[in-house]
Amino acid sequence: MKESVYDVFARKDRGDALQHIGYIDAPDAELARVYAWNTYNEQNWFEMCIVPRAQIIAVNRTDGPFARKEAVS
Amino acid sequence: MPPFTDDELKAKVHDGYIVESVEEMTEGYRKSLVVQLTVQADTELMSAPAYWMAARHAPSTNTQVSAHAIIQDELAHANIAYRLLEDLGVSKERLVYGREPHEFKHPYGFDQPLDNWAELVVANGFFDRAGITLLSDVYNNTSYGPLKRALVKVDMEETFHLRHGEVWMRRLAKAGGDARAMLQRAVDWMFPMTLEWFGLPDDMKRHSGQLDYKLKGLTNDQLRQVWMQSTVPLCESLDLDVPAHWNEETQSFDLDYPFPCEYDAEDKIWDFAGGEITWDQVFTRWKARGPMNERYVESVRRSRGQVQNWLDSSKAA
Repeated sequence: MKESVYDVFARKDRGDALQHIGYIDAPDAELARVYAWNTYNEQNWFEMCIVPRAQIIAVNRTDGPFARKEAVS
Repeated sequence: MPPFTDDELKAKVHDGYIVESVEEMTEGYRKSLVVQLTVQADTELMSAPAYWMAARHAPSTNTQVSAHAIIQDELAHANIAYRLLEDLGVSKERLVYGREPHEFKHPYGFDQPLDNWAELVVANGFFDRAGITLLSDVYNNTSYGPLKRALVKVDMEETFHLRHGEVWMRRLAKAGGDARAMLQRAVDWMFPMTLEWFGLPDDMKRHSGQLDYKLKGLTNDQLRQVWMQSTVPLCESLDLDVPAHWNEETQSFDLDYPFPCEYDAEDKIWDFAGGEITWDQVFTRWKARGPMNERYVESVRRSRGQVQNWLDSSKAA
């Protein structure tokens, strides 16, 4: 099963900032939604969304997970 | 090449520097962090089959649902820790599926069968408390930013597991009779089991990379004391016997049995009469693994081939 990384963002209440709360591996976006919702279920999130890590563009840094593209399919 | 030497990095993290990426780590830092996260991930993962097999003893459907909610949390925590390892260049796939059962790094306590509801709730009350003790210390002290952020969720949920354990220990103790006797039997083997889990005493501990790199803050003996500070009063308030007492003079807990000592995994009895053994003997017992080791590992791996077959056949159709 070829998996790739999806970063998970959520906010707890209206008016809160959207925060990076974690990340999961999944073979496709549909399963990624399910995994994210079930893995990070510690709060009744007002809003949760996921982003394929490969789609995140690093702006000012050349290190760290967001700058590494080769590891992501 | 990392931007710092090992000594520079050690000094920086003790000065409050937070490491954010693998590129900033020295090899020593990375290795210590990998060991720490592997123990953490394996412990969360192996608690799941232990709790799952015990959950069938739940006294009602409602209580079984609570027990299963805890198992789901543990699996999420395992996934989070294995994901952090992937960022350090370690394959989650290999860790979960590529090792022999005895190569997992979870504590010996999670190689033991939990044979009734009392043992499950004492596991929540004792083992999950040990988890909180260790992970809160990591949360408060770690120099690795991604781990600190991931632990917010983990600590929140482990606290719920602990409450579950404490509430049920109270209920069983209050019920008296067989329920209380079963509870006391669970406490008798699980209390020393948890104390041993914290590892070598400080005067024997050669050297701790985890302290040098500020991956944790407290020593093994300090963590053992923190665990007893909440566990011993809880048990005393329920009139449960535990082999430890508060020492006014030293302002710490003393153990009332030879530590460490031998354990009979078959009968779940600590051999207090046999006297103190060496830590080398303890490590030999740990390395041989406990009675449920293979079954638990097999249980978390079992469904994978089948799920893959279903996915393949649905794609082919």
